[in-house]
Amino acid sequence: MLNQLAFLYCASVIIGTALLAVRFKNPVYSVLSVLVLFFHMAGLYLLLNAEFLAAIQIIVYAGAVLVLYLFVLFLVSLREEVKIERFIKSHRLATAVSIGLGLSLLMIIPSFKLGAKGEYPVERITELTHTKAMGFELYSTYLLPFEVAGLILLIAVIGGLVLARKEEEIK
Amino acid sequence: MQILIILLQIAALLAIVLLHVAYTTYFERKIIGHMQVRMGPMLVGWHGLLQPIADGIKSFFKEDIIPEQADKPLFLAAPIICLVTMLASLAVLPFARGWVLADINIGLLFLFAMSSLASYGIILAGWASNSKYTFLGGMRSMAQVISYEIPMGLSLVGVMMLSGSLNLTEIVTAQGTSIFSIYLFPQIIGFFVFFIAMLAETNRVPFDLPEAETELVSGYLTEYSGMRYAMFFMAEYIGMMVMASIGTVCFLGGWNGPFEIPFFPPFWFILKVYGFLFLFIWIRATLPRYRYDQLMELGWKLLIPLALLNIFLTGLFKVFT
Amino acid sequence: MKVQYKPKRNLLGTIFQVEILQGMALTLRKLFSPPITRQYPDEKPPMYAGFRGQHALVRDPVTQDSKCIGCMRCVTVCPSRCIRIRCQQDAKGKQKVESYSIEVLRCVFCGFCVEVCPVGAVTMTELFEYASYDRESLLFDKETLLKNWDRFLEESAHDENYVNPFWRPRGVPEASLAASQRMKVPADWTIEGQFIGTSLRQPQQNGAITHTEADHA
Repeated sequence: MLNQLAFLYCASVIIGTALLAVRFKNPVYSVLSVLVLFFHMAGLYLLLNAEFLAAIQIIVYAGAVLVLYLFVLFLVSLREEVKIERFIKSHRLATAVSIGLGLSLLMIIPSFKLGAKGEYPVERITELTHTKAMGFELYSTYLLPFEVAGLILLIAVIGGLVLARKEEEIK
Repeated sequence: MQILIILLQIAALLAIVLLHVAYTTYFERKIIGHMQVRMGPMLVGWHGLLQPIADGIKSFFKEDIIPEQADKPLFLAAPIICLVTMLASLAVLPFARGWVLADINIGLLFLFAMSSLASYGIILAGWASNSKYTFLGGMRSMAQVISYEIPMGLSLVGVMMLSGSLNLTEIVTAQGTSIFSIYLFPQIIGFFVFFIAMLAETNRVPFDLPEAETELVSGYLTEYSGMRYAMFFMAEYIGMMVMASIGTVCFLGGWNGPFEIPFFPPFWFILKVYGFLFLFIWIRATLPRYRYDQLMELGWKLLIPLALLNIFLTGLFKVFT
Repeated sequence: MKVQYKPKRNLLGTIFQVEILQGMALTLRKLFSPPITRQYPDEKPPMYAGFRGQHALVRDPVTQDSKCIGCMRCVTVCPSRCIRIRCQQDAKGKQKVESYSIEVLRCVFCGFCVEVCPVGAVTMTELFEYASYDRESLLFDKETLLKNWDRFLEESAHDENYVNPFWRPRGVPEASLAASQRMKVPADWTIEGQFIGTSLRQPQQNGAITHTEADHA
């Protein structure tokens, strides 16, 4: 009961802040509502006994990524709002498409099957601690995808370095 | 009933920590004064002993000025964010075996999360005040926190690898088997990186660029006054203590000491934290401020490679023993 | 000028940052040295001879009045023109000082008035705590100046023969000094000692200019 209440609270705050992030005129306020959203995401992870993910969510997303967003926001002058032509011009068509998307999302829900499955039921995770369980899985079962993801990130880092580096003038 | 006990414990911890904050400022002024062949506060009470209380009362009753052009909700929230995150990180610190409010499995990560959130308070204070000094201070703090969070996290990875846990109590227990039952010697590189990153994270000299008073008046807290200023101040000092506690827990063996102290198990822990605080103050009395590009260079070009090297060496050590 | 280069460091010095450690050692040593602070209102600073403090008119112990004869020398010499004297001749044709005032806010504390006074009437005492919240109270008239003298005698260890030997006019033979300035000279006081830059003048007096040339070489 308490768990469900907590879930309801987190979920509704996530939806609310997500909407606010889009609606706010002031981009700094948008970023801050996303910050609140990330907090409640971490709360959801905690409800699922995934405390490592919750901590990483706050450290990486709230602590680093959003701070970088704020950095960019502060450096870019946003005095006047950027007006871009809408992708779908008709207001009614846009509403219809989004309602259709929402409905299809709702229709997927029954296909989720709840309950403990696989090697790691809740009891096992609480006994082993989530960090260890995740580490074991990542570095044994999913080693290859993990390394591939690492490689892709490395390429992104190198790409960033190449972009940021100024061309040296040829004498 | 259990909730009541926990609430009482929280209140006691809060009172003790705030008292420590007050008297850290006193000892800071006193020690720096004597290091500069001055005397420090002398007038309020015997040798100025009541000075921090007088300061507290003064800042409590001062007018709370909010600049006209400031972004009011964020301006009011910023010091609260700073203080709350710092106070929250006190909850997971183990002062002795069993003397911990919340013995959670990801204690170390929780501390990181809280210290990175505290930078929001500073950034928002800088932005919401709508003044160029605070803004520059906020920007500097932002860049500084992002760059020094990385070496700090990486320097503690060695400790995590050796102890095999993120739980602070278990980290302390795991140190019982190493030399002097502390991780300082197997992790000397990690400790060096951690110590410098710690100074930068807490915005202390020589990395006090966010509040460099010679250039930025008072940095991000220029526009704050009265109680809100005091809240930033408290957050900074609690941050110092939390960082000192992380250093104590992860590198100096927490509450372990040469011998057991009866009735007061956290004795060694507190002594080590005091040692760290003295080091903070001593460094403040000695060193000048780093230049901004030097700060970035030190963080990215020296500390991060060193921390990675430390992880590599620790891995080798783990493999061969 | 010789440029001071940084002393070369070896690798060990770079690793351990010896300069930082030296600085830290210095501050730690100073932590245990006695502070040089003087707790001012409780602990007064020592006064040295030649201090130019609050102005006063010496009260003559016989007449209980100022010694001033109204010669106007101090008014003439004062570079900031802050002294005003008004005199009147009485029926016998004797000069009488009606008013004497010093505007302290304009005074530059050069002490020339004290030097030129032929009777030692105006002095600068060793009092320095006379700050005030308004300008009026810093315009000393004759009564205030006499009271300043009384206060000085009361608060310091000096008696009414207080004469500051540092205020004698430079280069004036002892005999031609005013009587008040001839008194109470310490044994080691010389006229030559009063010249500023004595070492520069001496070679000229001896006619040995080569001395300075030797210095240059």
